[in-house]
Amino acid sequence: MNFRFVVNPEVCTGCRTCELACAFAHPHDGKPGKSRIYPIDGGFKELWVPVTCLQCDDAACVKSCLVDALKRNPVTGAIELNREMCVMCMACVAACPFGCALLDPGQDAVVKCDLCGGDPVCAHFCPTKALSYVPIEKKDRIAG
Amino acid sequence: MIKFTINGKLVQADQGDMLLTVIRREGIDVPSQCHHQAVEPSGACRLCMVEITRQEWDGWSKFVTSCLYPVEDGLMVTTHSAKVIQLRKTIIDLYLARHPNSTEIMRLASEYGVTRTTYETVADGDDCIMCGLCTRICAHMGFSAISTVGRGHDKEIAPPLKEAPTDCTGCLSCANNCPTNFIEFTRDSNSLTIWGRTFETLACSQCGKTTITRDFAEHLSKTRDIPIAYFEVCDDCHRKETAKTMGRVVNWTREVQA
Ligand code: SF4
Ligand code: SF4
Ligand code: SF4
Ligand code: FES
Repeated sequence: MNFRFVVNPEVCTGCRTCELACAFAHPHDGKPGKSRIYPIDGGFKELWVPVTCLQCDDAACVKSCLVDALKRNPVTGAIELNREMCVMCMACVAACPFGCALLDPGQDAVVKCDLCGGDPVCAHFCPTKALSYVPIEKKDRIAG
Repeated sequence: MIKFTINGKLVQADQGDMLLTVIRREGIDVPSQCHHQAVEPSGACRLCMVEITRQEWDGWSKFVTSCLYPVEDGLMVTTHSAKVIQLRKTIIDLYLARHPNSTEIMRLASEYGVTRTTYETVADGDDCIMCGLCTRICAHMGFSAISTVGRGHDKEIAPPLKEAPTDCTGCLSCANNCPTNFIEFTRDSNSLTIWGRTFETLACSQCGKTTITRDFAEHLSKTRDIPIAYFEVCDDCHRKETAKTMGRVVNWTREVQA
């Protein structure tokens, strides 16, 4: 894993561009899909938090999936949901403590952030760089 | 890497891939009812039949269930030859006779231009096509709460002894994946009932939205080492809580820097 997705709420203005970008980057039947990133009011004046999947190391979604439909992509580090394997049991939706595995009712499918296969569109479009995808410095890398 | 052709187009696949998987990957629409990527193929519904041949077979060909047929070098696969379509129509014709009220079978029949069955209609035929997908998925999830019981004409899917199944967790995976939507369940404000057993559903401690059953959550918590508290809040409220928590941290750094 050579890149890290970084969220910096200090500069988020709550413009919701990331949400739109995500929906258009994950279309279905020619229509935008459900966004996997949510700019939510952080509870203080002019404070927004773009909530999205943290691609946890010991991820509850992966543990909860009894059919192994959720697997980490070794190249991007994202936990990807294989829609063909998903049996729609909703275990991951219920298990994620950050609420980042969710049902897309329009597509009748469970969806989560996949880091767009290694080129997160939300980060491209974020006008204030509250979202960025940055190379990990060698010294920061965990051994191995 | 295995190389072969589908409808004349050269394709590549990994050793051990099944034909149907590659056909789908190529965006070709071959019908299937009993197939799901999560479980081993079973070849029960016969709808995924395709025609295969090889150069050295001298024009001879045969029909195989593509979900069960591993890819081979040099294979020549045809998915929509006149003969395959005729065979598929015959299979659909039989399904139509046995399950005359199934909307899924009717949809398939109209797609293939089968307007009515040439066989004698089973008047009391239900919508279960006995594809066994529900039992395979349930077993794969580790529950094995339902199975095929009875023989011949009386075969049906049911829990052991046809009693409320003790091994069922009410995860609904059987019902959600049944190709003909035959498996019924009902929902109440705080419970759901399937296979004759009623389960308590969890309600979000913040907004009250119902999520999965208590049995399923407890099973996941116990066998997969997930804190049970994770299941007490719904996904919407989890996202809101996350924003509030991060918000407090950001606000704290703001104040420190100010
Ligand atoms: S979906 Fe949730 S549990 Fe899974 S990796 Fe993302 S944040 Fe973690
Ligand atoms: S909903 Fe799909 S991805 Fe999520 S745990 Fe169930 S089978 Fe796995
Ligand atoms: S609801 Fe019960 S019978 Fe159906 S798949 Fe889940 S555990 Fe098995
Ligand atoms: S999908 Fe191949 S036999 Fe049913």
